[in-house]
Amino acid sequence: MIDAVVIGLIESAPLILAAVGFTLIYYLNRFINVAFAETITFGAYVAVVFNSMLGWDIYTSLIPAALLSGGFSVLTYLVVFRPALNRGVGPVEMIVLSVGLSFLVRYGLRALFGLGSKQYDMRDPSYLSVFGTGITSSQIVSLLLVAAFAVLCYVLIYRTKNGAQVRAFASNEDLARISGINPIRVALLVWFMAGVVGGLAGVFTGTFALVDHEVGWDMILVLMMVVIIGGVGSVRGALIAGLAVGIFTSAISLWTLSPIYAQVALLTLFIIVLKLKSKGFAFLKLTSTRFTFRKKVRT
Amino acid sequence: MSYTGFAITEILIFAALGVLLHLQFGRTGIVNFGVVGFVGVGMYGFGIFTTTLGLSFWLALLLATVATAVVAMLVGWAIAGLDGDSTLVATLAFATIVFNLAITEKWLTGGVSGLGGLPYPVDAGGSSGVYLLAIIAVVVVVFVGYALRLGRVSYGRLLASIRDNELLARSLGKSTTRQKLIFFVVTSTAMGLIGAFYASVNQFLVPNMLGPQLTFTVWIAVILGGRTKAFGPILGVLVSVALFDLVIEPYLPVPAALAPVFPDLKLMLYGLVLVLVILFKPLGLLGGRKEARA
Repeated sequence: MIDAVVIGLIESAPLILAAVGFTLIYYLNRFINVAFAETITFGAYVAVVFNSMLGWDIYTSLIPAALLSGGFSVLTYLVVFRPALNRGVGPVEMIVLSVGLSFLVRYGLRALFGLGSKQYDMRDPSYLSVFGTGITSSQIVSLLLVAAFAVLCYVLIYRTKNGAQVRAFASNEDLARISGINPIRVALLVWFMAGVVGGLAGVFTGTFALVDHEVGWDMILVLMMVVIIGGVGSVRGALIAGLAVGIFTSAISLWTLSPIYAQVALLTLFIIVLKLKSKGFAFLKLTSTRFTFRKKVRT
Repeated sequence: MSYTGFAITEILIFAALGVLLHLQFGRTGIVNFGVVGFVGVGMYGFGIFTTTLGLSFWLALLLATVATAVVAMLVGWAIAGLDGDSTLVATLAFATIVFNLAITEKWLTGGVSGLGGLPYPVDAGGSSGVYLLAIIAVVVVVFVGYALRLGRVSYGRLLASIRDNELLARSLGKSTTRQKLIFFVVTSTAMGLIGAFYASVNQFLVPNMLGPQLTFTVWIAVILGGRTKAFGPILGVLVSVALFDLVIEPYLPVPAALAPVFPDLKLMLYGLVLVLVILFKPLGLLGGRKEARA
């Protein structure tokens, strides 16, 4: 049990980070951005370039990976999503659009970097024991960095003026506009932040395993689950759901000795939770505002 | 079967799936991102019934379709009443479950080593594939005919009302959830039927056939051709899959340096086309320029 919690915590760290970024975009623009998977993959590959090809330290490589992923995310917003939103493309079509962009970028990266998977050059693989579970020092550093970035995002959104503007914009766009909030500035801030944490999530996933063109795609389905269950655009909900998913997956993996069965169990559980949630089981909700709003509409 | 014959049969398979997705998404507004899941159940169902149990082609086809119907009922029950986003993720999750089980359940599916030696409907030596092609062509015609008919009957208008304003349709006394569920189960079962045919086309099944690319290709066809038109998916398949497999791949001289990345370029181009269509022609090639938004 302790094993499951420790491994779950470590393995869900990048997932939580990515979930925070993913949920920010969902929060602001109200659509599922599947191409966020490619922001994650992009970050992982940038770190490959700086770490394996240019010989930088893996922790130093985090900086260009984060900044370039942020830039990449902003670019996808400006070139593809903003024009689409301005044209009044519906939420489902936005998802299809993001799937198209996702395929474009993913196979572009695969054509560029080739089929084989890459590995980071980690200098200090010393093993430690936490409650009897072996983990490497780099995993601990990753865990701490993930926690730091998650807290940073949380503070930025809930405790700063910029964050207040983001929240204002997400809850009532028209009101935010006439209050003098610059919509472009808010959007760029959110997409950049989401890109930064997404790219970092990609690098951290790579430090636990290998980097290939499917790093982000492997994560995106679970991300969507975490965000939908965690509640639309709730950073807090994403944190809790992400953690629960990580611990659940590692528990099942340890029990059945098969990560594939763990995924099957997780997806089945997810479908059941969605069903129960739609029927209005109050104990399943992690955030309350949107839910009560819906309930009012129904009656 | 020759390469061209195989390619044409595969194009017909995608056309059939495209018309079914048109019925689900274009007509009724059900966001099914798990197309490959239903195809996979039909495909592997057919494979298991013919090889492991040694049943005949038509009996296996029937049982595979029935098996898909059972699965479709379960999935349909699970997504009934969910909003678009949740439906999308739930169906995608379902397809991933099917893909994963095809890998792990080796005793049933043969795992990654696959399931081989599937029969054709008519054993006519070298031309067996031609009969199969003809049968699938008939199925496509039937599907298109049904989709066209749906545009004229009141049942089609009921589905359209569910797509455009479900709350309104419900307040007019229509049991929208039930109608949607039935329609979803029937069309998804038909996807399983197509999957069973597809198994026979391929003659050999491996889990990789159940990857998300299949769903993506069908979606491309529907969006590109025009999701609200019965002929939309047909046109969409012609200008995506058919253009690539029948024209570009056999006839375009690809430089040797590009050959290894050619499949990547194909999928990149699909993605780019999808982005451009949604930005500049959201109702697809057959959709009008500024119709009432679907």
